[in-house]
Formats: sequence, structure tokens, C-alpha cells
Amino acid sequence: MRKRVFIRWQDIVPFIAFAAIFIFFSVTSGGKMLSAFNLKMLLDQSMVVVLMGCGMLFVVAQGSIDLSVGVNLALSGVFGVWFGFATGVIWLMIPAALVCGLAVGLLNGFLVSKLKVPSFMLTIAMLIGVRGIVNYIQQYIGTQMLPTSLAFLNQPPVKIPLFIVIVVIMVYLFEFTKIGRYSRAIGENETAAEYVGIPVSKIKIIAFALSGLMAGVGAFFAVIGVGGTSQTMGVFMEMKVAMAVFLGGVLVTGGASAKIYKVLLGSFSITIIVNGLALIGHPESQISESVEGILLLLILLATIFATRRDRQSGRMLPEGKNSGSLEFAEQKNRKADGKSV
Amino acid sequence: MTDGANILEVKGLNKYFGPTHANVDIDFTIKRGEIKGLIGENGSGKSTLISQIAGIYRYDSGSMTLNGEPYAPHSPKDANREKIAMVMQELGVVGTLPAGVNVFLGRTQQFTKAGFVNLKEVYAAAEKIFTQWDLPMPPLHQLAEGMMVETRKMIELARALSIDPDLLLLDEITQSLSMNNRDRLYGLIGKLKGMGRSVLVITHDVDELIEITDTITVLRDGAVVGEADSRRTTADEIKRMMVGRSMSGEYYREDQAPDYREKVMLTVRDMAVPGEIEDVSFELHEGEILGFCGLSDSGIHSVGKAVYGLSRLSSGSVRMEYADKDVKTAEQALATGAAYVPKDRDSEALMIHASVLDNICLPSVEELEGKVMYLAPGKLRALTNEMVEKFSVRTTGVHQTMDALSGGNKQKINLGRWLAKDLKLLILDCPTRGVDVGVKAYIYSLMKEAKKNGIATLLISDELTEVLGMADRLMVMKDGRITKVIRRDENFTEQSVIGAMI
Repeated sequence: MRKRVFIRWQDIVPFIAFAAIFIFFSVTSGGKMLSAFNLKMLLDQSMVVVLMGCGMLFVVAQGSIDLSVGVNLALSGVFGVWFGFATGVIWLMIPAALVCGLAVGLLNGFLVSKLKVPSFMLTIAMLIGVRGIVNYIQQYIGTQMLPTSLAFLNQPPVKIPLFIVIVVIMVYLFEFTKIGRYSRAIGENETAAEYVGIPVSKIKIIAFALSGLMAGVGAFFAVIGVGGTSQTMGVFMEMKVAMAVFLGGVLVTGGASAKIYKVLLGSFSITIIVNGLALIGHPESQISESVEGILLLLILLATIFATRRDRQSGRMLPEGKNSGSLEFAEQKNRKADGKSV
Repeated sequence: MTDGANILEVKGLNKYFGPTHANVDIDFTIKRGEIKGLIGENGSGKSTLISQIAGIYRYDSGSMTLNGEPYAPHSPKDANREKIAMVMQELGVVGTLPAGVNVFLGRTQQFTKAGFVNLKEVYAAAEKIFTQWDLPMPPLHQLAEGMMVETRKMIELARALSIDPDLLLLDEITQSLSMNNRDRLYGLIGKLKGMGRSVLVITHDVDELIEITDTITVLRDGAVVGEADSRRTTADEIKRMMVGRSMSGEYYREDQAPDYREKVMLTVRDMAVPGEIEDVSFELHEGEILGFCGLSDSGIHSVGKAVYGLSRLSSGSVRMEYADKDVKTAEQALATGAAYVPKDRDSEALMIHASVLDNICLPSVEELEGKVMYLAPGKLRALTNEMVEKFSVRTTGVHQTMDALSGGNKQKINLGRWLAKDLKLLILDCPTRGVDVGVKAYIYSLMKEAKKNGIATLLISDELTEVLGMADRLMVMKDGRITKVIRRDENFTEQSVIGAMI
């Protein structure tokens, strides 16, 4: 059946951006970036972003967003470790962190789907409110350090297989089950999904729950990476994760543009930017944050232009000569500036 | 300028979209005071032609002359300046603005003083337009969002009329209007003609076109294939020109008596949705097509939604007898083997930017699921290919996005994806809205086949001829209540139905 394969710019730009960033920093860092030590560090740094990005993708696919993942990571980490110490069985920090992350996610999902609170506003409120709780707990119990008996968890032979298994599970859920398929359908056209008979509320709750759960998983990786918890845990993390998702080429409106490989690509891109800037002598300071911002903006612009090009060339498809192209003209107008033809 | 002179002349016009030759050497004129119809199958280039006249697209070669002057609009605004206005096929109102402001969208400068728009004047002017042209007045201060398709169409019409057009272009707008507003539109067209203005109408309804126009131009594969005088031509002749061969047989049912089995498939008892319908009770049998018709506010469309579990009932029940289950949500309805095809294809049924595969598989996901929730890509592709082939959907592949397909092909997918399933109950709301005669005939044949297979069909339609042509029994609704039930072998005529509708 497949007579022609249309290559969409929208899908290529993230690859080009990744390659450009990679080459740029490989050269400017004088090869430092490709050292075994640094590559390991890159992987380390991108792991948490990838894991949480995989969770957030379900939410973004539906056209919503979860900006509470950073603070959720902090709460889950702090609570998990505290629980481990409090019960005397430090291992229990793992289920405790996961349950905590899941609970926050479920609460988000419930508020968004049942009470129809816009996810953007809701998760910003959570971001502020929950941070307060984290600060309070952290102040109360002080900085927590993991016992050295758990240090082995941070060794690559343990950490990397675990990471891969979790990512594979997420890929499976998103690409090969109805949870992912329905999430994309909701992002494409929520009314259509509802009218077909898809349990929209349920799928929304599941998406936020997954996002929360992955924040819990992220908390585990962050805690064993750092060796403890602190007040600044997860600060700005939600932005990094969201940027990774969008940088990879997922549209803010979600839908069919949501693909899990894009999250991987975006996560590595953003990690390399941060890491690369540090390597070429701009440690994470004010100036490097500005450069980061500018780079992100450039890549996003490239993605947006690519998407627009694709939409326009949609007119060139064999059967789009009539109604199809007209609808394009109109929808573009509706989306772009609210003006009508 | 006097009556009978050409207002617009189009000569040797060509338009390409990439490799597609959408308009081929079009020659075509409209006279002052002429009502001209433009007809052709989906993809024949009607909308492309009208869009060039309205300044949405620019033509690649050829020429247009308006009142003897060369005319080459760069934008709809240019066209408006030359007193040409268009109402588009797809909806074009801004939901987040009040209805009254929508009428003067992009043209509020005339009400602006020192940078402030005098909204009072805008509303007053909008009100004047609705009264002047005898259009049903919407609540002007309310946001257009959430208004009915029909009301929004009227706002668009008012917008077009607000420039006091010499030439009005109407692209398939009657399909979203109900009978009473169609009559209003016909009256309006007559009034414009009386004023010496010209109207160019696109519609799929051949009978309607013959009735309201003076002349008809037929397009096929992007080229003009014929002109006809509306007073002398017949629907058959027009259809023949459109498809390039004669259409065989009648496309509605030919039998004159109800023909269904005893078994009850659906029982609706005292169903009520506040503000929409009340006391609706009926039974639907195996192999029956039950028609619903009524004016725009009669609640016929709400019946379909409510039966499929999409509305919160204030009283009553919906029972799928074939599954022995009361249904309260769409999820439950879907699980019993029911299907709902809503009226507004693009905004309520399809995912326009997603692929053919995504759209076709959506209602069948639960059936395609394997162990550990696995949706095998191979299975999805197989189902899609089977559907595309069975319903001869013209597409370049399963991964092509929906927006590149023509209206008829989209509707085939919209309907076909349900017929792929083991279906018991089919709820159709205006299933032939905006498709050409060929696809229309095809959809009717699918309905007949479904009937033969014992599927119970609920057919809701704004087109009276369609329900009369297809239904075993007909429910006539008025003000949210069923006012009359007519069997196919009783007084099954337009007159008897219209009597109960108004």
C-alpha cells in the first residue's frame, strides 16, 4: 500500500539539532566531551530527564502539561529517604518514593479530569505549594545522607540495566498499548475521542499518574546519584523535562506528534547543552543559562518552522486539492492568530 | 452597469497544487443579477475555483475580469474591497469573541476612535444587518463558542452581507442548515437577485441547486464539462455530467413497506435531557432503520447523543437489549457493540492531523488488544488496509494524514471504521452531509447492507428525502418531543411529515 513515503521536516529537525549540538561541543571542547569519563557523566545526567520525560510524554500527548514533576521528585525523594530511615529498613525508601510520586500524580489527574482544572495552572500551583512542604520537611529533618551500603546502586552495571528496563516498559506503554494510543487521540481531538466512547477521564488520570510515578522513579535515581537529599533537589527540573519533550519535536498540542524517541533525543540534546557549556569554560552560571535559553529558542523555532512547512506542503498531496487544502488554510488561521479568512 | 452584463469573467484559469492540476483552463462568467450554481464531485475543483475568486488562493495562469477591469485579489480583504464576499464550507468564526464582533471581524476600524473600538456601535451595526437581511438573530453579546453550527453559519453569512456584496460566494453552506433556515437562505438569495446582485452557490444537493439557481456550471476533474439552464435541465442530466456516465437505478430503498425483525435491540424509556429533549420513548428492532427528523431546534441530534451515553439524562433509561445492559456512558455503549457517527465530521469524529490508520483503528482498539495490552502494529495495519480496500478509500497509504483526503473519502473512513466491527446498533447523524452523489449512493448501499445483516440503525437527518428514502419507521420531533410516528406503508410523504414538524 505504501506508494510514497513523505519525509516530514518536523521529524528531521530534532535529529539535525542533536547532531549540530553534538558536533559543536565535541569540537569546541577540544575532545573533552567525548572522553569516557564525560560520556558516562552525560548518561548519568540525562537519565533522570529521560525517565521523567517518558512519564510526562503521556500528559503532553493529551495536550496537557505536568509542571509539578520537579517538585514531585523532591517530595518523593525526601519522603522516601525519611521513610526508609524512620522504619529502619532503608530499602523501603524505594516503594515509598514511588508511592509518593504516584499519589501526587493521581491527585493531579483527578483535579484535571474530574474538576476540569487546566493542567497548566494546576501544576504551577502544585509546583509552588508542594515546594513549601518539601522545604518544611527538609528543614525539620535536616539534610539526609544515604548509608554507604546503598552506594552500589549508583554503579553503572546496576543503574544502566535498570534504566534501560524502565525505558523499555515506557516505550511499550506509549507505542504499543491503548494508553499511549488513547492519549494521542485525546490530544488530536478530545471531542472525537469522547464521542467514539474512549474513557477520556480515566486515560487522563492514568497519564498524570504515570507522570507522577516516573517522578518517583526519577527521585530514586537522583537520590542514589547524589547520595542523599537536599532542599534544592529537583529545582527547575520540570522545565528541563518539558524542554526535552518539546525540543525533541513533540508539539505543545500533543497528538500524533508525540513519539517516545523524540523524548530521548530531546533529553540528550538538553543534557549536552548544559554539559558542553560547562566543558568549554562556562560552568552553570548566569551567562550559561542565557546561552542555554537562546539555544533552546533557536531549536524550537526551527521545529515550528518545519511544522509549518509540512502543513503547507500538505496541499501538495495528490488528493488534497480541494477541501483538504481549504481546511489547512483555515485551521492555520484559526491557530495562528485567531483571525478568520 | 445594467442587468445582463457580465460582472465576473474568468478566462483560461489554471491552478496547480504541486503535481495536482486542480483547475484546468476554466472559462466561466457570472452576469449581474444571476444566481449561478457550481457543482461537481468531491475533488473536482469547485472550492479551489471559488477560493481564487475570493482571494484565498492566487491563480497560476489565466485571467479574471471584474466589471471589465482586471481582477487579481491577493487576499480575501482585496476581494471584499471589490464587493465580493464568501461564506466558507468549514466554520470560520472565532469562538472566543462575541457573535456581534464576529460579524465585523478584521473590520472594526470603522468603529474605532483614538484606538478604542466602540463596541456599542459594533453591536448596533450587527443587529442592523441581521434585521435588514431577515436572518435569525443570535445572542450578539454571547461568545460564538458553544453556539450551534447553524447559528455560527448565520453569523458568517451576516459577516459576508455586511460588506454589501455585489457578488456573494456560498460554499456548501446549506448542508449545515435545517429546513427552516434553508428557506430563509433561499429567500435571501431571491432578494439579492431582485437587487441586481449575483450569487455563486456550491452545493451537493442537485435538486436544491436546480430549484434556486438560474444557470449551473458542472466541473469534473478540475475542468468545466458543461453548462445548463436550471429551468430546462433535470437532476439526472446534471448527475450524468458530474460523473461522466449515467447513474444506474434509484439510490434509496425501493420497497414501500417496513421490513425488520421482531427482536427488539434498543429500548428507550422516557428519556429526558434538560433543555433539549423530553419524554422520548421508542423501540428499535433488529434490521430496522428508524428515522428521526425535525426542525433545527427539535432535539433530533440530542437523541443520538443521549442514546450513545454522551448526555446526562435527567430521567429515563437507555437499554441495549441485545447486550442486556443499561447504558449510561459512551464507554459502555462502545463496549456493547454500538456506534455513533456524529454530525460534524471534522470536529467531532475525526482526528484531522492524525493518520488514516490512527483514525480507522480508534474504535477497534479494545478488540485488537492482545496479551499484556499489546497492540500489534501488524494487526492495526491489516485492519486499516482491509478497510481502505473494502470501502475503496483513495489514499496514498495508511500513514497519510486525514487532512489530505477529500470529504467523501473522509466520510467513508468515518463510517467504515465502525462497519469493520461486529456491530449491533448504528447511530447516524446526517451521514451524507457534504459528500457528493457518488459517495452518497455508496453510503446508502452500506446502510442497506447493514440492515440486511440485522444491524439496528438510528438515522437522524436534516434531509427529509433521505429519511423518507431509507427509514422503516419515522419519528417526527418538535420542541424536544416526538410528535408523530409514521410507518413506511402509511402516509409516508413529505407533506405529512412537514405537517408534524411545524
